[in-house]
Amino acid sequence: MQYTTDARIIRIMCTGRVDPTMISDAFLKGADGVMVVGCHFGDCHYITGNYQGKIKVGIAARALDYVGLNPRRVFFGQCSSAEGERFVKLVTDFDRGIRELGPLGTGDRLPLPDLKEKIAVAHTALAKEKIRWVVGKFTEFTTQGNKYGERFTEHEMWRTLDTIVMDEVATHEIMRELRRGSASVKTLALQLKLPSSHVLKYVLALQRRGFAELAGIDGTSPLYRVVEQKVA
Amino acid sequence: MAEKIRIGVFVCDCGSNIAGYVDVKELAEYSRTLPNVVYVKENLYTCSESGINEIKAAIRQQNLNRVVVASCTPRTHEPLFRGTCEEAGLNPYLFEMVNIRDQCSWVHMQEREEGTNKAKDLIRMGVAKAALLEPQESIKSEMDPNALVMGGGISGMTAALALANRGYQVFLVEKQAQLGGLLLKLDKLAPSGADAAAFAASQAELVQKHPKIRLMTSTEVREISGYIGHFKVTAASGGNRDQFGVGVIIVATGAQVLKPHGLFGYNGKRVITQLELEDLFRKDAFSAGNVVMIQCAGARIEERKYCSRICCMVALKNAIQIKERSPGTGVRILYRDIQAYGTENEEIYRRAREMGVIFINYDVSNPPKVEEEKVTVAHQLLGRELDLPADLVVLSTPLVAGEDNEAISKLLRVSLDENKFFLEGHVKLKPLDFATDGVYLCGNAHYPATVREAISQALGAASRASIPLAKGVMTVEPIVSTLVDEDACRGCGLCVALCPYGALEIVRTEKGRKVRVIPVACKGCGVCAATCYQHALSINSYTDEQIGEQISACLEAQG
Repeated sequence: MQYTTDARIIRIMCTGRVDPTMISDAFLKGADGVMVVGCHFGDCHYITGNYQGKIKVGIAARALDYVGLNPRRVFFGQCSSAEGERFVKLVTDFDRGIRELGPLGTGDRLPLPDLKEKIAVAHTALAKEKIRWVVGKFTEFTTQGNKYGERFTEHEMWRTLDTIVMDEVATHEIMRELRRGSASVKTLALQLKLPSSHVLKYVLALQRRGFAELAGIDGTSPLYRVVEQKVA
Repeated sequence: MAEKIRIGVFVCDCGSNIAGYVDVKELAEYSRTLPNVVYVKENLYTCSESGINEIKAAIRQQNLNRVVVASCTPRTHEPLFRGTCEEAGLNPYLFEMVNIRDQCSWVHMQEREEGTNKAKDLIRMGVAKAALLEPQESIKSEMDPNALVMGGGISGMTAALALANRGYQVFLVEKQAQLGGLLLKLDKLAPSGADAAAFAASQAELVQKHPKIRLMTSTEVREISGYIGHFKVTAASGGNRDQFGVGVIIVATGAQVLKPHGLFGYNGKRVITQLELEDLFRKDAFSAGNVVMIQCAGARIEERKYCSRICCMVALKNAIQIKERSPGTGVRILYRDIQAYGTENEEIYRRAREMGVIFINYDVSNPPKVEEEKVTVAHQLLGRELDLPADLVVLSTPLVAGEDNEAISKLLRVSLDENKFFLEGHVKLKPLDFATDGVYLCGNAHYPATVREAISQALGAASRASIPLAKGVMTVEPIVSTLVDEDACRGCGLCVALCPYGALEIVRTEKGRKVRVIPVACKGCGVCAATCYQHALSINSYTDEQIGEQISACLEAQG
C-alpha cells in the first residue's frame, strides 16, 4: 500500500472540526489542494459530525470557486479506518487531479498573485457571521424546517448560500479597497469589475451599518472611506 | 510572564520499521534546527523501557516543557507517552505525536528521500503545534449509582436483574402492562424446548421481588436530559409523571413482528405467521395435513433489505414441533438461504431433515404463489413448477424496528441504522455501547436476536454499564470544547443545536445568555468551534491557532 509523498496529514478529531477558514487559510499559505477525509455517513465516530464537515467543506469550496479557485482543489472524501486501500485511492486520485491543474494559480480562473488577493477576501467572508449563520442553520432548515415550518432542499440552501457568498465577497472586497484609501463608487466598480449599481448598493449598505462614511467629493462623485470599528 | 518553550523531540527507529525506509539520523539532525527545540534524541524503540526512561530523564534534566515523539500511531501509543510525561512531572497534554511510520516509512518504502522529506515536514508541523499546546486537567464527575433499563422483555429483565444483583438501584420501565415482551407470544424455546411463558413468568417474578428494582409497567419514558453519571429521566404512566436521576441507561426496547398484510395472501387463518402458529401450539389448536412455510416473507426485498437472522431457526423449531405433534403432517420449507449457524443450530437443521421436513429453494425473482389448497414454487434444480399441497401456510416474517425507536433515538441522542434499529458505537469495539457514553443496548432493539443471544447481550450490556457505576467517578479526557471568549458569545444557541452529544447548553449569566460546555458529555468533535461565527468556542489541543500553525509549518517552503 503506497501513495504519493505529496500529501501532508493534519490530525483532527472529526471532519466536523474543519472550519471553512482552515481551508482558505491553507490556500493563502500556498497549498495546491486540500482534502478533508472522514468517516462514512451513518458511521461517524462523532454521530453527525461528518455531515457538518461536509457542509463546511462545501461552503469553503463554493466561496473559493466564486473568487476564482478551481473547485477541484477542494475535496471531501470518506473512508473508514479499516479502508486503507480506499484512502490510497482517494489520495492518489486527488493528487492526479491536482497535478493536472498544476500549482495554485494555473488551471484556476485567476493567476497569482491576484488569486490570493481574492482568496483573502473569501477567507474573511468565511470567518464572518452572515455565511456562518446560514451554514450553521443548514441542517435544521433542511431537516426540521425554519420557525415557520418551511423545509428547504439542500439545493435551495446552497443557492441561498451562493447569493450570500456573492454579497459577502463584494462587501469585504469593497472594505479592503476603502481601507487602502477613499474611493468613489465608479473607481470601485472598475477595480472590482462589478456593475456600478451593485457597488452603490453595497456601499450604501455599509454606510447604513456604520462601516463606511462619506470622505469627500471628487468632481461630481462622492468618495467613501472605512469607519474603523472600536473594539469593546 | 510567559515561560520559555523548551521542546524535546524523540525520533523512533522502530527497529527497522521506520529506520529501514526513512533516514532517521537526518530527521534527528533536522529536528535540532527547528524553533524552540532544545533537545533531540533518536531511540531504537521509543516505546521500550529504555526509550521511556530517556524521555523522562530528558524532561527532568533538560527542563523540557513540551515533548514531541515522531514514531507510530497515536491510536496505540499516545496514552503511553502521555503517561510518561505525567510520570516525569509534565502535564500529559503538553505532548504531541507525529506519525512517521504509518504516514512515511510504511507508505513510501521505495522513496527514501521523499519519504524523509515528508517526515521532516510532519515533525516541523508537530513541533509548531507543540509550542502552542496548553496544559489540560482531566475532568472528573461523580456518578449517580443507579440505572434506567428501558424495556421489560427478556433483555431488559436480564439486564435489570444483573445490575440489581450487583447492588445498583434499577428503574425498569416497560410500556406494556405485563413484563415479558415477545417472549409472551412464543410457545417453546429452542433448543431446550422450555416453555416460553413459564420462563418469562419466572424472570418476571424475580424482577418483581427484587428489592433493588423499581418496576414501572404501563409507563413510557418521556424526557431524558443530562449525560453519563447524571441523566434526568421523566417517565409517564397515565396522567402521572415521575422524575428520577440515573447514572447509566440500557436500551432494551425490543422489536416488533411484521404483520405481512398483502404478502402471500396472508389472512391470519389459512395463511399465518410463525408467531400465530406458536399461538396455535399453545392453545393446542394446531391441526393440518400439509404445512408449507415460506421464508423471508417481507425480508431481504427491495423495501426491507436486511435479513432478520432468527426466522430460519424459528421455522426449524416449529417444523420439528409439528413433526413431534403430528408425524403424519407434511412440512415443506421454501427458503432462499438457510441460516443455521453454529454447531447446535446445524444439528437442529439435520434433525428436521431426518424427521422428514423437506427444504425447497426458491428464487426471489420468481417467488412461491399461494393458491387454493396448494402452493406452487419454481424448483431451482428440476427447472419446473412444483405444486405443494397446503392446508396451512406459515410465513416467516422478519422482526422490524420498534415503532418508538425514532422517538427514543432523539431522547437519547443515539443513532439508528438504515433499518431503524439502534446502532451500536462500533461494530467490533463497542458492540453493546452507544457512541454516547453511559448508554448501552441489547437484544432486539439492536437487531433480531434469539432469546439466548438476547440474554448474552443483556448480561454484556449490564457488565458494560456497571463499569462506570463501579468506578463511581467518571474521568474524561479534557480534549473538549471550551468557551474561550465569553464576551464574544451571544448565546445564540447555533452550536447547541448542532452538538451531537447535548454537551452544550445556554445559561443565564451576569453578562446575559451564554453557552456553557458540559465537559463530561463533550467528545471534542469540534462542530461547535467550526460553527461559531463569533469564534468564541475552541477545542482543547485542537485550537484554530494550533491547527493554523500546523498549516503554516506545512507550507512554510511554499509561502
